[in-house]
Amino acid sequence: MAEKFKLNDHERETLIFNGRMIVAGVFIFLLISCLIAWMVYLQVYRYDYFAARSDGNRLHSQYVPPNRGLIYDRNGVLLADNRPIFNLTVVRETAQNLDVSLDLLRSVIDLSDDDIDQYRTRQSRRAVPHTSVPLRYQLTEEEIANIAVNQHLLPGIAVEAQLVRHYPFNESSAHAIGYVSEINKDEMTAMSVETAANYRGTHQIGKTGIEKTYEDLLHGQVGYETVEKNNRGQVMRVLDRTDPIPGRDIVLHMDAKLQMAAERALGDRRGAVVAIDPATGGVLAMVSKPGYDPNLFVTGISRAQLAELNRSGHTPLFNRAVASRVPGSTIKPFIGLAGLYNETITPETEIYDPGYYRLQGRTRPYYDWTWWVDKSGHGAIDLRRAIYQSCNTYFYQLAVNLGIEKIHDYLVTFGFGTNAAIDIPEASAGIVPSEKWKMENRGEIWYSGETPYEGIGNGIFQATTLQMAAAAAAIANHGVLKQPRMLRGTIGSDGEVTDVIFPDNAAQKQLLPSQEQIEIVRNAMVDVVNKPYDSEHRRHEGSAYPVLRESGHPLEYPMGGKSGTAQVVQFQVDSAGNRDNGEVDEQFRTHAMFIAFDASEKSRIAVAVFVENGGGGGSVAFPVAREVLDAYLVPETETYPELSVVAENDH
Amino acid sequence: MASRSMSRSLGNDFYRLTGKRGGIRKSLCLDAPLLLSLFCLAVYGLMVLFSASGENITDVERQAAAIVVAFIVMIGVAQFEVDFFRRGAPLMYAGGIGVLIIVLLFGSEVNGATAWLDLPGLPSFQPSELEKFLVPMMLAWYMSSRSLPPRFRDLLVCGLIIMLPAMLILMQNDTGTALMVAMSGVFAILLAGISWRIVIFCATLVIMASPAWYIFLAQAHQKNRILTFFDPYRDPTGAGYNIIQSQIAIGSGGLQGKGWLNGAQSQLDFIPESNTDFILAVLAEEFGLLGVLILIGLYVAVLARGFYIALTAQDTFSRLLAGSIILTFFFYAFVNMAMVSGLMPVVGLPLPLVSKGGTSIVTLLIGFGILMSIHTHKRVLPR
Repeated sequence: MAEKFKLNDHERETLIFNGRMIVAGVFIFLLISCLIAWMVYLQVYRYDYFAARSDGNRLHSQYVPPNRGLIYDRNGVLLADNRPIFNLTVVRETAQNLDVSLDLLRSVIDLSDDDIDQYRTRQSRRAVPHTSVPLRYQLTEEEIANIAVNQHLLPGIAVEAQLVRHYPFNESSAHAIGYVSEINKDEMTAMSVETAANYRGTHQIGKTGIEKTYEDLLHGQVGYETVEKNNRGQVMRVLDRTDPIPGRDIVLHMDAKLQMAAERALGDRRGAVVAIDPATGGVLAMVSKPGYDPNLFVTGISRAQLAELNRSGHTPLFNRAVASRVPGSTIKPFIGLAGLYNETITPETEIYDPGYYRLQGRTRPYYDWTWWVDKSGHGAIDLRRAIYQSCNTYFYQLAVNLGIEKIHDYLVTFGFGTNAAIDIPEASAGIVPSEKWKMENRGEIWYSGETPYEGIGNGIFQATTLQMAAAAAAIANHGVLKQPRMLRGTIGSDGEVTDVIFPDNAAQKQLLPSQEQIEIVRNAMVDVVNKPYDSEHRRHEGSAYPVLRESGHPLEYPMGGKSGTAQVVQFQVDSAGNRDNGEVDEQFRTHAMFIAFDASEKSRIAVAVFVENGGGGGSVAFPVAREVLDAYLVPETETYPELSVVAENDH
Repeated sequence: MASRSMSRSLGNDFYRLTGKRGGIRKSLCLDAPLLLSLFCLAVYGLMVLFSASGENITDVERQAAAIVVAFIVMIGVAQFEVDFFRRGAPLMYAGGIGVLIIVLLFGSEVNGATAWLDLPGLPSFQPSELEKFLVPMMLAWYMSSRSLPPRFRDLLVCGLIIMLPAMLILMQNDTGTALMVAMSGVFAILLAGISWRIVIFCATLVIMASPAWYIFLAQAHQKNRILTFFDPYRDPTGAGYNIIQSQIAIGSGGLQGKGWLNGAQSQLDFIPESNTDFILAVLAEEFGLLGVLILIGLYVAVLARGFYIALTAQDTFSRLLAGSIILTFFFYAFVNMAMVSGLMPVVGLPLPLVSKGGTSIVTLLIGFGILMSIHTHKRVLPR
């Protein structure tokens, strides 16, 4: 009985169970159908969308900055090259919690608030998302190691190598070469759309000097690459690449050896030296002191470093070589040429110098320097002696006889009053006064009492050291002015130098007196340095000769020159005509000037020297000019221990 | 500890119960269709795992070792008579509960769940996985000893049988497994013929109660998962990240896939948990819709054989046990696939036989070993 009951039960249970299994099977069928339909929807119907999303995850376009062109001097010495440094960079989109990461970084490497502020500025300027932005430049090896250890805690933060500008000569060529530094907001907004696109991968741009002038040449063309990145932002492979076109390497007229010699010659004094090759107008050296290390600016100068630079109050960033000021007596040879050209004087014209000059019908005396010595003058004096003795009275009178308009018209042909330099746009134009100029700029008429001062370079006329050097070079070059220029040529991919040809400005051809008369002025300038004491006549020696004789080293080449002393403040002269020669504050002391040139038939170099508050042109500026000429013209005068260092840096 | 003593006693029982001393080689008591389907699934899984683990051969070797062990265990289990499971059910169930308590006291924590037991000399092991077949086995034993359909009082006992291990697993902070264990029990009760009225009543109750659960009981991360399910883009880099990236991987696989080892999402680490819970995303990306259909096809093959075994089983115990094991298996696979593709909120469950993880494979194959035993140890009945 029990068996049978069980069996019945068993059949019923089988039916129940089978029924339930069928229900389960139907459910399973429905669920699987749903799942398959969903998969078809995702993988077929929405395939395009998800494929694009997947590519968006992994594919990233990035810009490849071109390598900046190198800058060489005329002898192939590198003035600016590119060096790899290691930077700490952040990809904001990948860095999940930046503040936490920054706190950690601060504990393992040297990271200042200033760095973080600068980073935030860069981040706000960045145009392309998902690109890395520098947080700190130039990590040390130890810092790189410390970051590597903590890398897993620093998402989105990486150490990246970058080529950055390096200036092996540090201070000595800073003003001439200039420097690159981070592109700022103004520069970015000033760019055209195409230029901005070309700078997508570039962090730095030329700010001053050659780096700025030839930015287009040096920068090159940006490249692109499509890379595959993983979830942590690491580049896994490069899928497509358009190589950047590197910037052009350029060669300057500059001579690095001479540049260093000129810097050494100035020593610790403030001032400027410009040397020019008269035949080409090429700038051989351009020094401004005090200088600064341009390498500080490349990756962004910190506030502390900038404060340290400006601490002296002597504006080291200011390029004194291209700033204008009154030239003192160095202008006299050019006033002389103006007189000869306008036939106001002849080389034989003599005037009588009692030690001062008076305008006709006036009582106010314009003193000669001799007056301050012994209250006498030069007596009868012609142009040549007036130049080598630097006679003021002669040039007071010549200026008055010429009149300000003729002086103006003649001086502008030497490149004064405009920036005649072809590729030094930051140079000042200087001032060549005229009646018109004075009315326009000062709102006054020209007073006849001002004209005599223009004859001795202590009036309104202003010129830069660069302009003085170029003018001196024109005399050295027998009257042919070449406009000053920095760039000599570019280097092609084959390594050959192609000289650039700048057309000289035809409008600035000098108005020259006869060749013979130019030589009189040129020779008078040779006398400035070389004419010895005349035992029979007083004041017949060159104004710079005593300094040359005292140096104990005779010149090994013919040299011409002219000293100048520019007044910073008016001398105090009492009613009896005595000048207060007492000590004055350093900042009120006169500027010392000297222009000089190689007086060989084929002149190789002309120099202008300016020593700020240096004192007398003959005693202070002349030795500097001589040292520069010696360095260029007398090869074995000195050995340059620094140059061996330079040679090592020369890649 | 308990499992070791259990296997020793099983070994002793082996000869006594099967009565096939020395006859193992002659009759291995295996089911060829099931074995073949499972083998194909395991090989397919290893292939995907190799890619998902970033071509890490060590991971694949460990998984392969686990699979070999699991197959051996399955074959071993298949040798037992069904009677052994029937009679041993209460003891094994009690043993399982004991181990769960031990885990709660001495277990080690992985991913926030105290579900692992580290025994010296053995790979770490997740005893809650065993409940997947221990609970149905206990229920099958209990309900087959009474008549079907179960009466209301029986249901209360059944509820207790389910709740006890489920609560213990919940206390281990492993909601996913607790849910699955409960479901395996529910399947057994459903198959036993519980009245549809009670089923509908319970389902309605669950639906009515779920808002209350959401408001009063759900933890923050659970709420988050549910919100994320409805809108993954409310937090695309945080809570929604997994599901967004996984859908991108699946969708971008297209019809044919990007090719083995060529899935950008997988190889570039955009898919989180790519070798465990989210391994389907890797498979779908690299093998495309075709690969997914092959996987579903293999699961359906296993499922179909399981259905056949359950339907042809000889007694109520065998049927209930076989039926709930195979439904649990399907449920595992479906929940994982639905969750990874965004059809369901994220629950931490592996994809059976494909995801990395030894315990899951061994316990799954123990279940299939029981199925084989049910199929091969039939008494010859007079017809």
